[in-house]
Amino acid sequence: MPVKEKEPLIMHPRPSSIVAALYTLRDLDTDVVILHGPPGCSFKHARLLEEDGMRVVTTSLDESGFVFGGHDSLVEVLEKVIKRFNPKRIGIVGTCASMIIGEELHEAVTEVQPDVPVIEVEVHAGYRDNTKGVIIALESALAAGIISEAEFERQKSLLKEATMVEKRHGAASKEYLEPNRGDLKFRVAERLLELMKQGKKGLNILNAKKETAFMFADINLAVTQTAEKLGVSSNIVNMVNLDVNVGLPKNRRNAREVRDELTQKGMEIHHIIGGLDEYPIAGNNASQIIGEKYSDFDFAVITGVPHALPMDNIKHMELFSITNGPRQVVPLKEMGHKHVVVEIDLHPKTLGVNHIVESEFGATLRELAKDA
Amino acid sequence: MPKQIAIYGKGGIGKSSTASNVAAACADEGYRVTIIGCDPKSDSSITLLRGRRIPTIMDLMRQGMDIREEDIIFSGYKGVKCVEIGGPEPGIGCAGRGIIVAISLLKKISKAIEDTDLVIYDVPGDIVCGGFVAPVKKGLVNEAYVLTSGEYMPLYAANNICKGLSRLEMTLNGVICNSRGAPNEEVIVGEFAKEIGSRLLAFIPKDVLVQTCEREGLSVIEKAPDSAIAGVYRKLAQAIMAEKEAQIPKPLDDKRLRELTRI
Ligand SMILES: Nc1ncnc2c1ncn2[C@@H]1O[C@H](COP(=O)(O)OP(=O)(O)O)[C@@H](O)[C@H]1O
Ligand code: SF4
Ligand SMILES: [Mg+2]
Repeated sequence: MPVKEKEPLIMHPRPSSIVAALYTLRDLDTDVVILHGPPGCSFKHARLLEEDGMRVVTTSLDESGFVFGGHDSLVEVLEKVIKRFNPKRIGIVGTCASMIIGEELHEAVTEVQPDVPVIEVEVHAGYRDNTKGVIIALESALAAGIISEAEFERQKSLLKEATMVEKRHGAASKEYLEPNRGDLKFRVAERLLELMKQGKKGLNILNAKKETAFMFADINLAVTQTAEKLGVSSNIVNMVNLDVNVGLPKNRRNAREVRDELTQKGMEIHHIIGGLDEYPIAGNNASQIIGEKYSDFDFAVITGVPHALPMDNIKHMELFSITNGPRQVVPLKEMGHKHVVVEIDLHPKTLGVNHIVESEFGATLRELAKDA
Repeated sequence: MPKQIAIYGKGGIGKSSTASNVAAACADEGYRVTIIGCDPKSDSSITLLRGRRIPTIMDLMRQGMDIREEDIIFSGYKGVKCVEIGGPEPGIGCAGRGIIVAISLLKKISKAIEDTDLVIYDVPGDIVCGGFVAPVKKGLVNEAYVLTSGEYMPLYAANNICKGLSRLEMTLNGVICNSRGAPNEEVIVGEFAKEIGSRLLAFIPKDVLVQTCEREGLSVIEKAPDSAIAGVYRKLAQAIMAEKEAQIPKPLDDKRLRELTRI
């Protein structure tokens, strides 16, 4: 019998599967989610998700709930949620606490018999990869008839890729990753400006995960505007993962919003490399296009998930990467990205918006370009 | 859908002996049978496997194995499929969670609980926490049986199990009396069964043959097929395979329970 290849221990905290399930339910346009567990579980994200219009409530399991079970609390909260919010789609999400003691989410649903669909997600935070939380949520959505089999399979293969991307060069690539603030934005912007002034040819790539595109796109936009100001627009090629025809409803909506705003602000989109949920594979598409057409380019600005772009066709270019993960800096440097900039706390600022949000790096570049 | 049964009763009362003899008797009749031991003691199927101890799901999980069907399902007497869930070391971790995890793994990697005629869940004597009712709650059990003798403590345990079942709104298909040689046992257990709203399915006498066969790692059905007690197990097996009636049990109060044992 094969022994499972023992995965190396990773010590730095990583994204939670429970939270991943919550974000997935949001993408499925769920109105209210009940977290069946302790009051503080996933607090920060529960709060942030309300900015996106999804309510999150908790059954507030306490010591006595752990010992005697939480069925009655779940029934009570489910009934209250129906009365108070009149939701059209409800989610119930497990936590470590409720799953360990063997709570059956479905029992409460059977008892209350809501007449709107309920997505039951039996998840806890003890999975190595948080993508597991997404998969479990999607499985339940499939069972509830909310997504199609085809969409489910598509998502599943994307998630597998996402997990691989993190293992290769991301947050799951090392036993411990030191958080790092990245390079000074001012210095990096200065260098970028210099290259543009020298008439160097550059790629301007957006490969963002879902709503983070609302801020990452601002950087790509700033690059475009700067090039225009310098009269070197023809030196820059833009590639974005803003396909409006793939993904869950919210992702499609967001792709359209970002794409329209970019176009309207004068950015010409030369290549669509995938959808907003395709960041794990869009990098491969970009790489192929680069190999075919732009292999002689001098530099590349890559925003979002730069580590999903294979190095083969860009390793000779001067790379400017913008990430929102302080733990992504070291792996990116090791891959050969010369400049790595961190947009700290980017994600919260992209919740509850439908327009491009100003980034620090974008603002820095614009400011420098003023005197150019 | 296969008949999926669970046998409940006080620890040591004879659940595993009964379960394995019933399994063997059904296999004799040509039924495809799967027995799933949910007791951390993992001794449910030992007399179907000639005394061999098989690796449990929990053992393999602990060792970090990539578990496949053939690693955990072992063919016993006349092809009875034997699975032992096992558990963590006593006093460590959470056995209840172990059952939940093992059951969902089993469901995922094997058809042994679907492509079969009878699945017997041999559950531990005390349902100490949520995990131990996972087979019931996950809809894997559709019939429940209670095994008891006519003594007070086993009856007390049986009555408690009925409380649990009625709480879960789970029906009871019958009571089985496994005799320990107390006076009037058949009458007492028969009366108990009637009062909780069920019926006595079988009276298994106390017979040293059960223990001698067990010592050799064999069921009575295999070792002494012509014995009287083998006949009793066979009749019980037929009764279970034919069983359809079930009611949610109405547990008795303690006073009535004590009175019963004085009949
Ligand atoms: N009808 C019987 N006559 C004699 N001994 C029995 C009988 N039923 C069970 N036993 C013996 O009682 C002991 C406990 O039985 P077991 O099936 O392991 O109980 P449980 O599974 O309920 O804990 C075993 O040694 C078994 O051989
Ligand atoms: S341990 Fe699990 S249940 Fe508890 S707060 Fe953390 S994620 Fe939530
Ligand atoms: Mg036993």
